[in-house]
This record gives sequence, C-alpha cells and structure tokens, in this order.
Amino acid sequence: MKTVTIVAGVLLVFVFVWERVDVVRLGYQIERLKTQKILLERERDQLQVKFSALTAPERIAKVATEKLGLVPPQQGQVLMVHLPGEAPGLTLPSVKLIRLAKHDSTGRENE
Amino acid sequence: MTAGPSRGRRYVMLLLLLCGFSIILFRLVTLQVLQAAELTAKADRQHQKTVSFEGARGMVSDRHGKVLAMNVEVPSVFGVPTSLESPSTVARHLSPVLQIRSDELERKLRQDKSFVWLARKVEPEQGRRLEQLSLDGIGVVMEGRRFYPKGPLLAHVLGFSGMDGQGLEGLERLYDSHLHGEKRVTVLQRDALGRTVFPKGVAEQAPTSGHALTLTVDEVIQYIAEKELEEAVTHSRAKSGTIIVMEPQSGAILAMAVSPRFDPNVVAALTPDRWRNRTLTDTYEPGSTMKAMIAAAALEEKVMTPGSMVFGENGQMVIANTTIHDHDKLGWMTFSEVIQKSSNIGAAKIGMALGEQRLYRYLQAFGFGQRTEIDLPGEVSGLLKAPKNWGRRSLASISMGQEVGVTPLQMMSAVATLANKGVMMKPYVVSEVRDHKGRLLKEVRPQVKRRVVSPETARTMTTMLEGVVTNGTGTKAAIPGFRVAGKTGTAQKIDSRTGAYSSTQFVGSFVGYVPAESPRLAMIVVLDEPQGEAWGGVVAAPVFRRVGEQALNYLGVSREDTVKIALAMKDH
Repeated sequence: MKTVTIVAGVLLVFVFVWERVDVVRLGYQIERLKTQKILLERERDQLQVKFSALTAPERIAKVATEKLGLVPPQQGQVLMVHLPGEAPGLTLPSVKLIRLAKHDSTGRENE
Repeated sequence: MTAGPSRGRRYVMLLLLLCGFSIILFRLVTLQVLQAAELTAKADRQHQKTVSFEGARGMVSDRHGKVLAMNVEVPSVFGVPTSLESPSTVARHLSPVLQIRSDELERKLRQDKSFVWLARKVEPEQGRRLEQLSLDGIGVVMEGRRFYPKGPLLAHVLGFSGMDGQGLEGLERLYDSHLHGEKRVTVLQRDALGRTVFPKGVAEQAPTSGHALTLTVDEVIQYIAEKELEEAVTHSRAKSGTIIVMEPQSGAILAMAVSPRFDPNVVAALTPDRWRNRTLTDTYEPGSTMKAMIAAAALEEKVMTPGSMVFGENGQMVIANTTIHDHDKLGWMTFSEVIQKSSNIGAAKIGMALGEQRLYRYLQAFGFGQRTEIDLPGEVSGLLKAPKNWGRRSLASISMGQEVGVTPLQMMSAVATLANKGVMMKPYVVSEVRDHKGRLLKEVRPQVKRRVVSPETARTMTTMLEGVVTNGTGTKAAIPGFRVAGKTGTAQKIDSRTGAYSSTQFVGSFVGYVPAESPRLAMIVVLDEPQGEAWGGVVAAPVFRRVGEQALNYLGVSREDTVKIALAMKDH
C-alpha cells in the first residue's frame, strides 16, 4: 500500500512537472506563430499596396499607350447597345450587350 | 562535574541558534513584509515586459473597393547614445543604409540621451540591411506608415496623416476618430534570457484596426477628370482648375479633381496652398452660370415663360449710373434665347422682374451663401448678401453672377438640382464605414435637402440649357450621341490692386448634366485665370465634353442613336 502511494505521489509530481514544462513549451510555440502571423500580414499588406499601385488607372493608361501602343477610342468608335427590353418594341436575340467598334462590323458579345 | 561545562555549551549553542534564527526571521520579515511591495515590483520589471501596440489605421477605398489609402508596417530606426562606445563609427556604418549624412547621424548619437530616433518609417529593405549590420546601440521597431498607392489620385479629398498616424487633412482628418486604430498596452512575461513567454492574465489579442471607409468616388472617373483637368490647365496656362462629377439623383460625388495635384505620400515640402481642396474652400464670382438659377426662379414664379420676349437694348443698358454690356448688340429675344446667348442685360431684366426678395429667396433655396454640408473639412459658405445690404445695381449684378461668391461645389449642387427634377440632394463622399471585421457600422443614404423648383420648371430649364449646347455659347460641350444640358460662365475677377473688375483675369466655367433626358452625370469645370481665350465656352466646355464622353463610355450609358443601330441590326 505504502509503495503504491509513493509511486502515485511520484507520478503526480512527474505529471505536474511535465504539465508546467509543456505550458512553457506551448507558450514559446504560440509566440513563434504569432510572430509568423505578423510577418505574413505585413507581407500581405505590402503586396496589397504594390497591387494597388500597379493597377492604378494612371499606370494602366501609361502602359497601354506607351508600351502597347494602344489609343483611346475616338468619338463614335464605341457604341453601347442594350438589348432587349431597354429599347421598347424590339425583339432581338437574347444578347444583353453588344459592343460595336468602328472596324468591327461583326460586333462582339460582352456580358 | 561534567554537567556544568556541557550545559554551558548547550546554552551557548542555543543562544547562537536563536541569534541565527532571529537574523533569518528579521531578514524574512524585511523581505516579505517591509520591502514586499518594492521587491515585487522589481521582480515584475525583470520578468515582465510592457508593450504598447497600436492597431493599423483603417483603409480607404473607392466605390468598387479599389484601395486608395492603407497602412503597412515599416521599420523605424532608433539609437541608444548612452550605450555607444564610438558614435562616429556607428554613424559611418548607418549613413549609406539610411541615406542620411554621417555627421548628422553622429550629432544625434552624441546626445546625452538614452533614446533618439534616427530615421522613422523607412523602406523595408533598409530595415533588413540594418538587421544584417547588427550594430550595438541601434535598434529597429516596426511602425504603421500610411501609403497612398495611387499617388496623387484624389489627394485633395483623401488628405493625409502625420508621422504619428493622426489625420491632418481631408477625409483623413474629418474621419480620424473612425480611421485610427485602437491603442492597447499588453504585459508579456520574459524568461531568464529575456525571451517573451506568453501573456499574463487575459489572453493577448492584437489591437483592432481602425474602421474602413468606402467612398462614393469612382477611381476611373476620378482619373479621367484629373487627366483632362491637368491637360486643360496646362493648355490654357490657368492658375488652377477644378472638376466635380456628381450623381444628380443621389448627391454622391463620383470625382473631385483639383489642379495642381500633389502626392500625399510626400507632403513634407508642400505648403497648405497646394493641398487645399479648392472645390469647397475657394469662392469665385460665377458669372453667367448663375443665369440658370435666375431663369429657373423666374419660371417657377411664372414671371417668364420660355416664349416671353425680352429686349436686349442693343448691347448696352444703364443701371444706377453704370453701364451693363453684352458681348453682342442683341435686340428682341425670347426668354430661352437670353439663356442660350447668355445675355447680361436679359438676365438683369429677369432679375428685376423677380424683385429683390424673391431673387434672394431662390438663391438661398439653391444653396448659395451656405455650406452644402458635404462630409469634407474646410468648406466655406460663400458670399450672398441680404437684400438690405444690396446697392442700387446689386439686383442686376447678382442676376448676371456678380456680387456673389460661390464655391464650385455650391454651383454643382444647384445645377444638379435642375437635373434631379428640382430636388436638391446633399452631396457626400463617404458611403460606408465598416469595422475591422467588415461589419457595417454606418451606411450613408442619399439625403434630400429640399425641393427648390417644380419638376415642370426643371424640365423646361433642361430644354433651355440644351439650347445653350446646341445653339448657344456652349456648343463645345456637345457629346455626340447624347443630349447635353449646361451653361457657360466667364467671370471677371476683382483686381486686388485696383479693387475693380480686371480686364485680364477671368474665371471660365461650364456646368451641366448628361444625358439631359435622364441625367447620369452632373459636372462642373472651373478654370481660374486661363490665358488667351478665357471664355467658359472655349476653355471649360471642351473639358466637360471630354470627361463626359469617357465617363459615359466607361459607365456603359447608351447613346441616343442606340435604337437606330438596334433597328438596323434587326433588319439584317
């Protein structure tokens, strides 16, 4: 009986010590993960700022005109045609929006 | 015999033990009772670390969620001069990384202080290089830095924030209580090596970020407006310029451009003159654009009908010993033609037919002389004197847009009222405020201010203002495929030296809406002191056309000839 009590007591001490050690270990782990989270969030924010800067209309226009040689559509080159329903009395095929360019006689579907 | 000395030794031993225990007891009482508070505090200082965190400043985005302002954590560099052995060596190492002169750094590092900032909010790459150097007495902490990724786009509306994250101008200032992040102090425990273990007590949580703002502005329309305004200001060599684009049915601002522009990422070297939002801080005498409101008042009061005849006095009329001129020798004309041809004499006669009190009442109803209450800081109320302070010529002068000071925003709001069937809406730029989890805290709905004129009057005015663009002074504002209603304005500025109207300094403007039958956009273009041809119809109307055409195209608004094309397609 005495032996059992002693063994149980030693075991309890071991469990207690193990628990304390584990709490400290987990504490370090939590701290590491938090640091990692902060670093990832920082990287995400930096990427978001970069993305926003790269998608600025001013930059897109510059790349389109200077790098790709595109030009803004001139007067009358873009026509929006909303069909059907919006033009009363018209029963045309179920094309919601047809974009006509000056040099594009076939028209192009654009949802 | 033997008992004596042995007893004596025992007493001595007992005494020594008592003394020893007394000393221990005394020390225990000293440590545990008398010095308890002080020592506990000292232990806490060694075991615990108090860290102050501040949540990131809230994001600002346009109506489609495109980011216009946000915070990113970047390194700030500090020094501990008291722990440095050779400040000059450290300064030499730091100088190329921080791009600051070595002697300047050395001066800071030689100060008798335990902490000095060397460079705040530097580039992440500079922080990484400093960490690699690992210099003793030099440290790096992360701080939130405000970035405006689109550069100068919408800068006059956004404003900017200071080094410590406080809003200083524009929306950043007005919405500072929403935008700034939560400040929180957290106690962390440290082990023997000084490493942070885990928080004491309540679970540690990162402080919450500030609230996010969603604007009514569309960054593409804003870009179009800024691009065209810059071009117009450069081309006309004007001192400055403004454009406002508004949804007349809601009062939502789609674009608000001011030239010259500035980059809110770099404001240190700029003066307030550069970042002032001139659309609401600067007043000007509107000139002929005011005639639209005078005409609306006359129609509403049934003083005139579109067909009423007005005599133009062949271009000259004397009022209160002064002569009013028209640009042409106009004779008899209809009320519509007065507006179409922008006759000063015709407008003066309409004003006189209305009378002082009625004219004043309508100008007030159209919002002149009072703030529009837009959610932006710095708005002025303009100048509209009460009739008791008017001179003998005031009624005529005010009718042709003189003796009144208006902001571009007031004029925009007044004309948008005509576009919105006579109902004035309150202009606004922030549509939503959300917390850090994206929960909606505040939603701004369109707000009716008042009805100013009847829908019939507004409709008649639209027809008359269409005439300005088809046959009048504003033909350069015409957008092919759309019906445009608008009014030109060319006002002489007061010469500050003479106090009289200048013959060389003008404000050229155009204000209108499109498509006239069902307006999607109301817009004002104002150019301050354009050189050469300064007529509103020459300098401002073409800008209206260019911005309007691109914006309508972007919004996918159908042209008037859509039906014809659709019918042609049907026939095929």
